[in-house]
Amino acid sequence: MAFSPFRFRRFSTRLLALVLGLLFATLAVTYLLVSHANLSNALAHSEANLRVGARIYDDAIRRQIAYLTRTAGLMTGDYAIRQVLQAEHPDIRTLSSALQSYTQRVGAPVIAFFDTEGQLLANSDAEMENENVGPFRYLIDRASKADQPEDSGISYLNGKLHVLVVVPLYAPYPNIAGWFGLAFPIDHAFAQKIKDTTGIEVTFASRRGVQATTLSAPDSGIVSQLVARGPGQAGGQVSIVELSDDRYVTLFKPEDLLGEDPVTVVLERPLKAELAAAHELEQRLLYISLVALAVATLLALGLARGVSDPVRRLAGHTKLIAGGDYVTRLQLDRADELGHLADSINAMSTGLAERDQVRDLLDKNVSPEVAAQLMRDGATLGGEEREVTILFADLRGFTTLSERLAPPELLALLNRYLDRMSAEIERHGGVIDKFIGDAIMALFGAPVAQGDSAGRALAAARGMEAALAGLNAELAAEGRPPLAIGVGINTARVVAGNIGSHRRLNYSVIGDGVNVAARLQALTRTPEYRTNIITSAATLAAAGPGAFATRPLGAVNVKGRVGAVEIHAVE
Amino acid sequence: MKRLLFAIGIAIPALLQAASAVGFRVADAKGAPVADAVVSLTPLDGPARLEPPTAPVEIMQRGQEFSPYVTPLVAGTRVSFPNRDTVQHHVYSLSKPKKFELPLYAGEAKEAIVFDQPGIVALGCNIHDWMSAYVVVLATPWFAQTGADGRAAITGIPPGRYRAEAWHPRLGKVESRELDVSGPPAASVDFTLALKPDRRLRRVHSAVPGGYK
Repeated sequence: MAFSPFRFRRFSTRLLALVLGLLFATLAVTYLLVSHANLSNALAHSEANLRVGARIYDDAIRRQIAYLTRTAGLMTGDYAIRQVLQAEHPDIRTLSSALQSYTQRVGAPVIAFFDTEGQLLANSDAEMENENVGPFRYLIDRASKADQPEDSGISYLNGKLHVLVVVPLYAPYPNIAGWFGLAFPIDHAFAQKIKDTTGIEVTFASRRGVQATTLSAPDSGIVSQLVARGPGQAGGQVSIVELSDDRYVTLFKPEDLLGEDPVTVVLERPLKAELAAAHELEQRLLYISLVALAVATLLALGLARGVSDPVRRLAGHTKLIAGGDYVTRLQLDRADELGHLADSINAMSTGLAERDQVRDLLDKNVSPEVAAQLMRDGATLGGEEREVTILFADLRGFTTLSERLAPPELLALLNRYLDRMSAEIERHGGVIDKFIGDAIMALFGAPVAQGDSAGRALAAARGMEAALAGLNAELAAEGRPPLAIGVGINTARVVAGNIGSHRRLNYSVIGDGVNVAARLQALTRTPEYRTNIITSAATLAAAGPGAFATRPLGAVNVKGRVGAVEIHAVE
Repeated sequence: MKRLLFAIGIAIPALLQAASAVGFRVADAKGAPVADAVVSLTPLDGPARLEPPTAPVEIMQRGQEFSPYVTPLVAGTRVSFPNRDTVQHHVYSLSKPKKFELPLYAGEAKEAIVFDQPGIVALGCNIHDWMSAYVVVLATPWFAQTGADGRAAITGIPPGRYRAEAWHPRLGKVESRELDVSGPPAASVDFTLALKPDRRLRRVHSAVPGGYK
């Protein structure tokens, strides 16, 4: 499998990654959603606030106009001013100083007096001349034409933004004897007053630049540039403006001036202030998330350990089983799937132990190869024809020996002999087919086909001779007479399979070739042959020429067989 | 004539006994000297003889202010209000001891005003709200006005019992105490006045922008 970052060597890591990944994703999405909702909420709230601020501003202007109008109305009825004007040639300086007194009385910094033609007669501000009181004259003209009792508006006076009011002096009502003009500056103090009431930053800006602001100089410069960029910013739309310290939700509110380009009232609220409460919520959400992650980590680790520990024990236990320990039982004490698995493994151990026992018994009764084939293919009646080398070995003079020895000693000696012979046969890949008293029938090439089964059989026979020599040396040391064997080997096509009844089966071979091998073994007793091992030409041919030193013994007739068999002594 | 003799009869012993002086020190609650306070000694043994000056006392208008701010005088004194300004003024008083007005005028006023009733007279100008002055009309010839150091002295006081009084524009009611004047060395009177905050209108000289204050 290709390398993947999501392959984990440990189940606990995988579980941890899964739980934390899911939880983190959920929390992150929640956090983002909340954050987004907070931002939209803050924007909506800011906009609502700014609209209220705009109304408060409008109201402030309206109140200012109402106040100036009302106080100007009182002023026009003042006795002293009438005294001043009563003179045939009213003294302008006295009138000016009286207006100056009024500015203090009224709180309007600019008060001017105009004649019925709109000519400036006197002014509280010495710097103000006929030329720069245009907005007042504009208002007087408009009020006169519309036959209004008073008029008001916003415009520049001496280059500065003012709220302007004109009120007639009646002598008596409705005869107009002159006009009072009162002006109130829209300056930083005014902007600050709006800010004090609303908490909103206020800037008055036009093409002429910043008229008044509560912002710092660089910030108001940014706002002024936005306003100067054109009427696109106007129209009462809310947008976000990046100022030096924060992003501001900004409302551009155009304000018409008397005969001038409009001024834009820019109302702003820092987004940060609006988000403060939301920020706290987000902070808390973050803490809760971290705690949840920590708790989830601990739980996942605990859960993973609860799974991986028993899995590790299961793995260890299966190693024991692989090593052949079917006795030890695994105790998990769990009711879940792992508990069931442990029970199953224990049951498997029991099954394996039983099977092992069966196999063990089988091994002792049949050759390991036959046992393996039985285990694999099952014990079925059947057969196949195949080429097999059959070896018969017989203990010579066993009958006389049996008469001399007590039965236990006889059996012990026989078993000792058979054990040595069997070992040699198996060492050379042969399979003990059966013991027939003191005789041994062995197969080479069945049940498992082997290459060179003939050669192996011959080698086994020579090995058996050598093994018997060793055994005879031991027997001599024990003071017993030596043993002698005769071995017959033949290679032939025979029928191999399980032979017997349904209750009892033996794997064996049957056929003419088997009889020939038995017959060859019998021929070793013939003294003229002077050999312990006789084999057929078929075996030698199968073993290949020159592999063994042999001596031809001629052809013999075998009982029940048509034609002679050529036989050889193996030296 | 009989009254005159009587008056001389009081005056002569006083002269014989040698006139005394009284020093005044006027301070506010914080101990700072108070200027423009009027201190006076009113005899308790009998009414003092008042001799108003024959020439009128002058309270002029200059720089759109009255000058002086506080003018103490004995009852019966005439006061003229010359206008030394380029603008006209309209002087008036609504105070009980003397109600009057001098309608809008420039230069010398048409008439001098006689202040014949003791008491405090507040003066104003109908045109200029910030113009303010006080005339303190007294029923005793022994009075003085404190300087910047808060000190004033009254000399030539005949021995006797007196009511010492102090008044200031920022004082609600007159402070007074009794005093025995019995010749040298000079007596000393300390007044500590609980002055109200200064609420005088001040003239704003040029029309400065900035409506909200």
